[in-house]
Amino acid sequence: MILFENVSFRYPGAEEWVLKDVSVEIKKHEFTAIIGGNGAGKSTFCKVINGLIPYYYVGDFEGKMSINGEDAAASNVASLSSKVAYVYQDFENQLVRPKVLDEVIFSPLNYGYKDYIERGKRALELLDLTHLADEYVWQLSGGQKHLVALAGALALTPEVLIIDEPVAQLDPAHAIQLYEKLKYLHSELGLTILVIEHHTEFIANYCKDVMLMEKGSVKWKKPVKEALNSVEELTEKHIHPPQVTMAAFHERPLSEQLPVTLEEAGRWFENYTIHEKGMPFTVSPEKQQSIVEFNGVHYGYKTLSRKIVPVIKDLQLQIKTGDRIALVGSNGAGKSTILKLISGLIKPLQGDVFYKGDSLKKVSPEKRAEKIAHIYQNPEEMFIEDEIRKDISFFLKVRNHPAQEEITNRIVQQFNLEVLKHRDGRLLSGGQQRRASLAIGLAMQPEVVLLDEPTASLDIATRKKMIAMLGELDSSVKAAVIATHDMQLVAEWATRVVVLNRGEVIADTTPQELFSNQFLLREASLVEPQIVSLCHELKIHPVELTIDGFLRRIKWEESASECFSKVL
Amino acid sequence: MSVFQKFFSKLTVENIKIELMRTAYGNEPTPLAKLDPRMLILWVLIYSIIPWLTHNQTILIGLTLFTAVLAYMSRVSPLLIFLLIVGVISQFTYLVFAAMFLGNSFTVLIAVIPVTMKVATVSLATMAVFTSMDPEKFSDALLKLGVPGKFSFGVSYGYRMLPILIEEYQNIIHSFRLRGKLPAKPGFLYSRYVFYYIKMCIMAFYPMMLNTAKRTRTTVEVLEVRGFSYTLENNIAKDIKLNYLKMTKYDYYFIGISTLITALIYIVGYQFPL
Amino acid sequence: MSINKERKLTQSQKMMVFVLSMSLFGLSKMITELLPSNEVGPIEFSISYFAFIPLILAALFHPLYVAVGASVGNIVFAGLLMGDFGGIGEIEGFIEFTLAIYVAGLLVRNPLSKVQLAIASLVGVGIDQLLSTIVDIGKVWFGVEGFDAVPGLPESIVVLEGVSFLNEMVITGVLVGLIPTLILTPKLYGKIEPLLGMRPRDAKVETSIGSYITPGLIATIVILTFVGMIAEFIAEMDMNLAFWSADFINQFADDQKWIGYSAWVILAAGAIFIIYKLVRKKGSGTADLDQAA
Repeated sequence: MILFENVSFRYPGAEEWVLKDVSVEIKKHEFTAIIGGNGAGKSTFCKVINGLIPYYYVGDFEGKMSINGEDAAASNVASLSSKVAYVYQDFENQLVRPKVLDEVIFSPLNYGYKDYIERGKRALELLDLTHLADEYVWQLSGGQKHLVALAGALALTPEVLIIDEPVAQLDPAHAIQLYEKLKYLHSELGLTILVIEHHTEFIANYCKDVMLMEKGSVKWKKPVKEALNSVEELTEKHIHPPQVTMAAFHERPLSEQLPVTLEEAGRWFENYTIHEKGMPFTVSPEKQQSIVEFNGVHYGYKTLSRKIVPVIKDLQLQIKTGDRIALVGSNGAGKSTILKLISGLIKPLQGDVFYKGDSLKKVSPEKRAEKIAHIYQNPEEMFIEDEIRKDISFFLKVRNHPAQEEITNRIVQQFNLEVLKHRDGRLLSGGQQRRASLAIGLAMQPEVVLLDEPTASLDIATRKKMIAMLGELDSSVKAAVIATHDMQLVAEWATRVVVLNRGEVIADTTPQELFSNQFLLREASLVEPQIVSLCHELKIHPVELTIDGFLRRIKWEESASECFSKVL
Repeated sequence: MSVFQKFFSKLTVENIKIELMRTAYGNEPTPLAKLDPRMLILWVLIYSIIPWLTHNQTILIGLTLFTAVLAYMSRVSPLLIFLLIVGVISQFTYLVFAAMFLGNSFTVLIAVIPVTMKVATVSLATMAVFTSMDPEKFSDALLKLGVPGKFSFGVSYGYRMLPILIEEYQNIIHSFRLRGKLPAKPGFLYSRYVFYYIKMCIMAFYPMMLNTAKRTRTTVEVLEVRGFSYTLENNIAKDIKLNYLKMTKYDYYFIGISTLITALIYIVGYQFPL
Repeated sequence: MSINKERKLTQSQKMMVFVLSMSLFGLSKMITELLPSNEVGPIEFSISYFAFIPLILAALFHPLYVAVGASVGNIVFAGLLMGDFGGIGEIEGFIEFTLAIYVAGLLVRNPLSKVQLAIASLVGVGIDQLLSTIVDIGKVWFGVEGFDAVPGLPESIVVLEGVSFLNEMVITGVLVGLIPTLILTPKLYGKIEPLLGMRPRDAKVETSIGSYITPGLIATIVILTFVGMIAEFIAEMDMNLAFWSADFINQFADDQKWIGYSAWVILAAGAIFIIYKLVRKKGSGTADLDQAA
């Protein structure tokens, strides 16, 4: 249906081709994932399909792209985009109208369809959003906004749907919800769907084909199973196959068919025996000193009608020296609010927060900053200077710290920012931005560091690096608190997990116990790492949180293996 | 507690934000909202000009009262109307004092009364119409009246983006506060604090400008894909979209009653000039 | 070469500049409305608007789209959304502000030149404030029957408006206009343009002489018109003014001091004009060199 024949493209004045001699065919009714590192040309490829290239971004375009046999060269953005819908990664900026219904009728109205209202309503119905029609877009949650963006794209009844990294901005529960919708659109409405996706676990569960891009060209396009089985090639390109695939690969690298989904893995490991292991030996907590303490804290925000919606209810919580706390819970559970209450960006309505026994009621955020560093979810909002180095030294400089040069230099080195230090934070890549934001926080030499979603929207390779970096925090701070959706991070980093649900602490436990307790996971709508699910599937108890741990718990049964391979 | 302390204690960004949002999104339906916005715009224009064409005080009193009643009808609270009039008067207070001082006479006091009423009439008329008009409707009306499509887009885009922009600005301000340092002493009349905050407000626009630029690029690209530029070139969509703007019998009633009352005011004014 | 050619934009880039300017200035306008204001007598120590935002953008991008965008943002955010819409009064503000920013933008030919930025900032805010001062005076003039017959009124309106004009020039023009513009423009230059997919303006190349006679003319015309109008206005009213004399209190009986005041205004305008001329000369000098080279 979509046919690329030797397509190349480069931006005006640029030397390098962003797309190089791309020839590929996407057939009707495909569900294809596009993978590849940064700068592989994934977005550019997709923008050729909806005509933004070459009609909007004028540049050197060579070759031929056709949809349904129609040459795109004889078309324009308007007619191409009514066939091809596009949902951006920063979908927030895609929503341009105040209310939901306005938003979904926007495209059909612009293209002059008489039945624009019906079209919009139909799109809302398709995604079960009808009840939101009269809401203001800004009042919706992130997941809802993404669906509205999708509905807006669907209102033109396109044949092709392109979605750019949907999971990056959504929490895992919403990501699953979104993919379920996509699955429905694909199977029921027969849409051809293309997703740019890093998360191979989603690819394995939902996509049919995988297309790998590298440096502007299409390396290959294979069925999903075959694609994810190329473990070595993928890891080399910093794409990480699903955890179950990795586990199986480490177990038997030469196996012909590695499992890619949980289900397959269950069967694949069926004939393995499991080592028993008692509950892990927990060190009886030494005398830890309490640093931050919440005492009966209530917090809520005002709505338009000046009513107060409670966010945090009667919170009692102690953060002690040596703690690595992960705050988990679904959106709106109050994770970020707790961080803000500690750093003083917001004040409790009732109750009090104490720092080493002293009330923080009358302490300004500026003063608290001398002990507490708060690192935002969105690093871009932390860059207030025109270069990284100035951002790092800002805190020290306004305080005339005698050793500001020294500390700044040390931090720059520690975070490997030597090359980037004179660049503006906003112009860095996602991973570099995170690194810089962490550096900014630690240059404040805090005792407590608060991090909001430090691994959000990072690709998996960068995320791994980030987790490793967070592991080294202990050497410089007394306690660290991370609010996160990333269960991988919880599993590998935290020593203590505080589970929140609607503003209340429903559990204060260890990662091990959290992941062993499926009931708790469900109640807080958390999505466990795949390897943990596999443990549940294979009845490994207590669960293992890492692939290595998992591999240590299973054993290959010689006799069973033979019949296993016969079955295959 | 001094006024300043009160001000700073209330100046949590959260509170300001919610007040802003309330004014922007908390519209309630009013009687005037049912009318055709184009007609209302025309009406305001006329009422912004009429008062300046006469010096007859009876007419001016009549016009002020009429617009005050209309403002009241469109649910502007009486208190706000009162405050508005006080505000208009105080605008001229310094002028009156200065003139009395320089001119050594009280005539200015009387001379200023008509101009006060003129300004009040215009303000009340504007208030009556625009408190009840949804910004979207207003922009549709302008579009229909031939104002470029970009303006009407600007209105709804602002309507949409306002909360996001405020949120982002708030976060950047927070960033400054989380790393900055309050002046050790408040200074004379809290001037050091004021200076600290104002400097922060200005410097926060540096990151804000860059972040908004990034955002803008996606938005404009999206507008292209979603056919906005296509509409600007064609009139199909405009016609479909603005189809709902129709003069109804209520509009004619409104015009009729308005004309009648205005005429009455003029007749009375010429008969009994003050 | 015209401004259009120098800062040539595609349709979508125009839209981006418009949207950018609109959102930023609109937001800033809302913030300034919330900032505390301090009144000492008739003088109000408050910030009317963050002049530096449109000034910087006008220096970096096409000034027309920046100017229109900022004015629209002002109406949309501070007016319509905040329920503070002034009806017909907004049109007047729209024209004044758009003209002011447009002229300011035209005056900047090299966004890295501090002198040009400084002049543009002052001229930009100056035009806006001058025009609104005229309108304010006009309102009282039209609104009061027998304006000149009321003793003391014409003088006091000019004095008050003059004071508020100067006050605005200091706060809006310098504190939140000139100074932030000088600090932030070089920081943003070369950084913000690529984010919109544009190439930064070439800082080194000066355009040919013909291209900036127009902005020069516009600026001088606006200034001269205003000075002329004020002068004529005052002359016709034959009013008494005592403002710039040292022994202020004693002067109330004196009838001749208004000349001093208007002379001051003319002087200031003249000074701006001469500085501008000099800069222009300097600019054209470099252009000649470039052409020679």
